[in-house]
Amino acid sequence: MTPTTDRGRDLPAPPDRWRRLLGEDGIQKWVFYIPVVFFILFFAAPMALTVVWSVFERTQFWMEPGFTLFAYENFFTSARAENYVLSMLHAAAAVVISFVIGFPIAVFIRRRVTRAAQHRVILLFILPFMISELVRVFAMRPVLGRNGVVNSVLMELGILSEPITVILYSPLGVIIGDVMSFLPFMIFAGFLALEAVQNYIFEVCDDLGTGRVRLFADIVLPLAAPGIFAGSVFIFVNSMGVALVPTLLGGPGAVNAGLIANQAIVALDFPLAMAISTIMIFTLVLLLYIGHRLFDLTKILEPIS
Amino acid sequence: MTEPAAKAVEVVELGKNYGSVTALKSVSFSIESGMYYALLGPSGGGKTTLLRLIGGFLRPSAGRIFLHGHDVSLLPPNRRPTSMVFQNYALFPHMTVERNVAYGLKLLRVPAGDIRDRVDRMLAMVGLEGYNRRMPHELSGGQQQRVQLARSLVLERDILLLDEPLASLDARLRKDMCLELKRLQEKVGITFIHVTHNQEEALTVADRIAIIADGELVEEGSARDVYETPNKRFTAEFIGDNNVLEGTVSDLSANSATLDIGFAKIDVPAPGVTIRTGERAAFSIRSELLRIAGRNEDISDSWQVVPARYVEDVYLGLTVSHLVQLPDGTEVVARVMSDSGENGRFEPGDDVAVGWPANRARLHLA
Repeated sequence: MTPTTDRGRDLPAPPDRWRRLLGEDGIQKWVFYIPVVFFILFFAAPMALTVVWSVFERTQFWMEPGFTLFAYENFFTSARAENYVLSMLHAAAAVVISFVIGFPIAVFIRRRVTRAAQHRVILLFILPFMISELVRVFAMRPVLGRNGVVNSVLMELGILSEPITVILYSPLGVIIGDVMSFLPFMIFAGFLALEAVQNYIFEVCDDLGTGRVRLFADIVLPLAAPGIFAGSVFIFVNSMGVALVPTLLGGPGAVNAGLIANQAIVALDFPLAMAISTIMIFTLVLLLYIGHRLFDLTKILEPIS
Repeated sequence: MTEPAAKAVEVVELGKNYGSVTALKSVSFSIESGMYYALLGPSGGGKTTLLRLIGGFLRPSAGRIFLHGHDVSLLPPNRRPTSMVFQNYALFPHMTVERNVAYGLKLLRVPAGDIRDRVDRMLAMVGLEGYNRRMPHELSGGQQQRVQLARSLVLERDILLLDEPLASLDARLRKDMCLELKRLQEKVGITFIHVTHNQEEALTVADRIAIIADGELVEEGSARDVYETPNKRFTAEFIGDNNVLEGTVSDLSANSATLDIGFAKIDVPAPGVTIRTGERAAFSIRSELLRIAGRNEDISDSWQVVPARYVEDVYLGLTVSHLVQLPDGTEVVARVMSDSGENGRFEPGDDVAVGWPANRARLHLA
């Protein structure tokens, strides 16, 4: 690129600043910043706006700039705070049940399915996502209802004399719906974590004589912990935030944080909806921080070697 | 070692199939207690399969395995007097060095105080004193393999199995570790069975070597025997740098056979070998025993000499390989020490003679 060559002198030199902006170096430099711009525009800015809007003054149909903690006061002094805590407990229950059902499935696929078939089996668990979530959750009604599949089968078999009604339009119904909807995330995350555990680890355990229980407690669980935590966060976030499940399966009083915010929007109380969202953001950031301190979440992103 | 008469390992007609693929045909051999034994052979030859059968990681399709006289053919790995060292740094990644080594003892419910003593003693033995609190990812490849050794040896089982333990290490480190393994085995005195595809590694560590190829035990013997006097043609071609020539048996005497290799008749020692005239046979001669001379030079009567044409020399550091072509087109190699003064005597295309001590040739039946 030295301008001293004869050819260089013959050609008209391109304007310097254009070359700097759009030349080979320039474009490469800008391409590097695209993800940053995307991140700010679609991730950081909306979150910041949520926090800012939560302290705005409420007007009849919208809100106006100002500073008031009225929305937060409203949240903490009403039944909403209590419902929010209950929603966290229900989400935690969904996580625990998903782990109890989903992680053994992940272990089974990793240990008992032929290596070549493992990924195909995992793909099967994506199939439910092909069905609209609305349809999927709504379909739980005829299954769990008073005259639903569960009750009629159990009564037909003589196990029940009266239908159980606690499994629909109740907090339990919401937990069942959450588990049904989000269980695959536990299977995916657990499987990915286990995939990083090399086969020889299991052979060493055979050699040392590690029993099944010790193998699970001493080896499999600690090695898969970051993956299990990642899956748990996913399920927890969705169980708290997806309003659809309590809307369709929850009864009076069975709400989650997402539905509380939804109700505030329906009531045209936007600062309150923003305040609830802000509280959710901070709850989850706190959870992620605790998880990171416990399991070192960077491990999840370590390449599988 | 309850029965001193029993061998450490005795394998009888052992075979292993994976569906229609045969990994190990019918193999029988035995290993004396306290021996450093190497299973040497090309990749995919079945040596790792054999080791895993002995360790209990595979179920035999046929045959039996006796360890110290007990039939262990169907026992799981932890109920055999064996312990395995794996090729890829197979440590528990979430445990410190100390916990890795201690884990097997913890499973055996050894008291905590004893565990600590035994772990410390074993880490000192493999040269990792003071590394107790390190995590595996903080160690080099060689150090990780030492931890594996400690984890196996601390169990005090009678037979240590090593599956290509040095394959992932660089050449320099592999050489050092070979000598250390050998010394370690002499110190602990238990039987080591070491699988490798690297002949130098096998010759360095092993008292005895078995050559395994195509699912069969080709040949078995002391390291020196296998290198200097291989019985099988495969061994001659696999170990060291040998020249193999083929011919037809034209004459037989009490202790030698005469092979017609087309352009010459070669006498090869054949004590106690049953062979008939007219049969095809081969003989091999180590390249370091071959000497190249001018056509008119006098060579001792006890040497076999054939005419050849000089092709080229290849400098290899310690030695120089001289390639010559025999009248039938076969190329043979003569290796000479680089600073022996015998190099550079001939130009490519020169007519030369190549010879070897007649009594050092080895007959291989087809």
